[in-house]
Amino acid sequence: MSPMRIVVGFKVTPDYEALRPADWARLAAAGGPAERAEAARYVRRVLGVFDEAALELALRLRDARADHGLPTSLAACTVGGREAVPFLATLQALGFACARVDPGDAAADGGLDFAPTATAALVAACAQRLGGDVLLLGERGGPGGSGTVPFLAAEALGRPCVTGVTSLEPAEYERLRVTFTADDGPARAVAVPPCVLAVGNAVVSMVRVPTLKERLTVRDHPVAEYTAADLGVDVGALLAGSPALTSLEPIDRRRSGVVVPGGTPAEKARALYDGHLRPRLEQP
Amino acid sequence: MSLSREAIVEGLHGIVGPDAVVTDERVLIESSVDNFRKLQNIFDVHVMPVPAAIAMPKNALEVAGILSWANENGVNVIPRTGGTATEGGLESRTPDSVIVDGSAMNEIVKVDPYNMQATVQCGVPLQALEDRVREDGLTTGHSPQSKPVAHLGGLVATRSIGQFSTLYGGIEDMVVGLEAVFPNGEICRIKNVPRRAAGPDIRHVVIGNEGALCFITEVTVKLFPYFPENNRFLGWTLKDMALGFEVLREVMVNGYKPSVARVYDPGDAGIHFSHFAAPDDCVLLFMAEGAAGIARATADGIQEIVDRHPECTQVPSEYIETWFNDLCWDASKITAEDERIRQTRNVNRTTEISADWSSINDIYQSARQRIIDEIPDITMMGGHSSHSYINGTNMYFNYFFNVVGVGPEEETEKYYLPIIGIIVEETLRRGGSIVHHHGMGKARAPWVKDEYGSSYYMLETLKTAFDPRGIMNKGTIFPI
Repeated sequence: MSPMRIVVGFKVTPDYEALRPADWARLAAAGGPAERAEAARYVRRVLGVFDEAALELALRLRDARADHGLPTSLAACTVGGREAVPFLATLQALGFACARVDPGDAAADGGLDFAPTATAALVAACAQRLGGDVLLLGERGGPGGSGTVPFLAAEALGRPCVTGVTSLEPAEYERLRVTFTADDGPARAVAVPPCVLAVGNAVVSMVRVPTLKERLTVRDHPVAEYTAADLGVDVGALLAGSPALTSLEPIDRRRSGVVVPGGTPAEKARALYDGHLRPRLEQP
Repeated sequence: MSLSREAIVEGLHGIVGPDAVVTDERVLIESSVDNFRKLQNIFDVHVMPVPAAIAMPKNALEVAGILSWANENGVNVIPRTGGTATEGGLESRTPDSVIVDGSAMNEIVKVDPYNMQATVQCGVPLQALEDRVREDGLTTGHSPQSKPVAHLGGLVATRSIGQFSTLYGGIEDMVVGLEAVFPNGEICRIKNVPRRAAGPDIRHVVIGNEGALCFITEVTVKLFPYFPENNRFLGWTLKDMALGFEVLREVMVNGYKPSVARVYDPGDAGIHFSHFAAPDDCVLLFMAEGAAGIARATADGIQEIVDRHPECTQVPSEYIETWFNDLCWDASKITAEDERIRQTRNVNRTTEISADWSSINDIYQSARQRIIDEIPDITMMGGHSSHSYINGTNMYFNYFFNVVGVGPEEETEKYYLPIIGIIVEETLRRGGSIVHHHGMGKARAPWVKDEYGSSYYMLETLKTAFDPRGIMNKGTIFPI
């Protein structure tokens, strides 16, 4: 029995939460991708949160299929520069065959950030090269992401796409039981590969960590490196037709708070109820 | 005969009033551990004895009332303020303990910019004091990673140290006076003076006592002028920790006082600096601060020293500054880390030791290799030196492991304590100290006699003199 081939596309992004206020100001004022990249240059890199969930869901699916005696091969691919290398090493140790797509000069200096058409074309082409029956992607790559890459990749591959995926289980006949978030709440469906699955707000949102021994085992395993030309994608042409990001600003997520007055717990409870809870409860 | 839980609560009601006694079962269960056994809280699997109550005194007199009552009745007392302990100092090892929580004593008593000192009650968060003195253009100079959540009482009780220690010193260099309450109810105040030679400096009986001798109710700390506009950051990559230690040594013995002087090994650097460091790179970094001339001269001097080592490759200072600005742990980061542990069962622990320059690299290398060889499921084994002195430095071992094949409540026994054991063994073998700044707690208490050697007589005598009935934080510093 040949294994089900699952390819997970992921993106490595700057950790925008670690940006200094001054760099956020530079980022907000950036006139283009090169300036944006420079503003975010000095912060560490992180996996996109939805991509991280997609990677762990793929691992859990592999494990669940193994429990049923079903073989699975995992691959992970990313589009970007050398900043992805530490993440690829980690994923190799977890059992992914890894590939990196260098978008080339046309996308230098962060040019593929917020360029979903070109990104989707490269991810789709790479997934095809890796022979994925299932392409798993995070629903959104990071702050400012358009959320359109999964759709565009599915279109490029000519495959159906399920979005808002929150869990995956093996189903009969090499299919997948997919739980996803629909407009009216959680829903379940059976997906028939080949397909594209976009992972949304999954409860499982963090990828497991390989041991040092697992890392050593794959230390010399190569990462497949592709250029856009290798994959037959004309990035320059796609960038020319891509919508442009015009601004990126932080959302102030600080929570306001009040100290509830009162000398005793009873007084505090009364003040909390009268001042904060009752007005809300009485709202129609 | 020991008191029942009901009698303990009743006794506390009589001292601090019912409103200042917490008996909520959930709160008590969660208070049975600190970060040493944090997985018990993260996974809600608790196996430690549950305290009988938490008392929240409002002043030193109430603390004295609680301690003398506990002393008379043989009730174990666990002093606590911010609750950020990492070494088991706050966990209950014996049934029906009482946690005395000083967080309601949270008044900034006095900020005195002329004499450059501030007096606070024990429950004042360090961040609150820092924010207050910044209004006057001053700083405490104390910035442990726990600054947003730790309180002054606990910081002094554990001999805390901050990220800027190479310039400002540890908390023991900052405390000029304090007030503490002993188990017999005696309230002692050590006055605030610049220096004293009137016999032994008894501040140090209190600083670092970890609640095993007394309860700290008030502290007075030094203040320093704050010149953030003059901060200078310097960073290099290099391939060898031994060279990193050597550069730190040269900086220190040449008399420079950067506020931050660190070297990270490749494992630890991979966590913080993988966006500019190669997987086999160590990272050496400095921060110089103070008045403009001092900051400039410090940075220039360090630059000159590192320039003598062509193996070091300088990186843009923005990498270091950006990283440093995001280093402190606030509540949201702690919550995020807990969630990561819950999902991945991958746990991060740290153990810090100190030694002289001749020994530190040997301790680092041997402990690191033994842990990799002897402990299963390690996912990262690394560390950094972050607090240097003219005669040596510390090593802050930073390690991660997956919890496999045991319940969360067994993580400490299967992984954490054996790792601590290796680090302690390798440190003692080479004459270092097994604790640099987290405190002994209950985690490293089993090695206290090895740490102190013949001077254990002095330590033990303090315990028997001040706490003859042994009611203060049983198991902390002094093993049960």
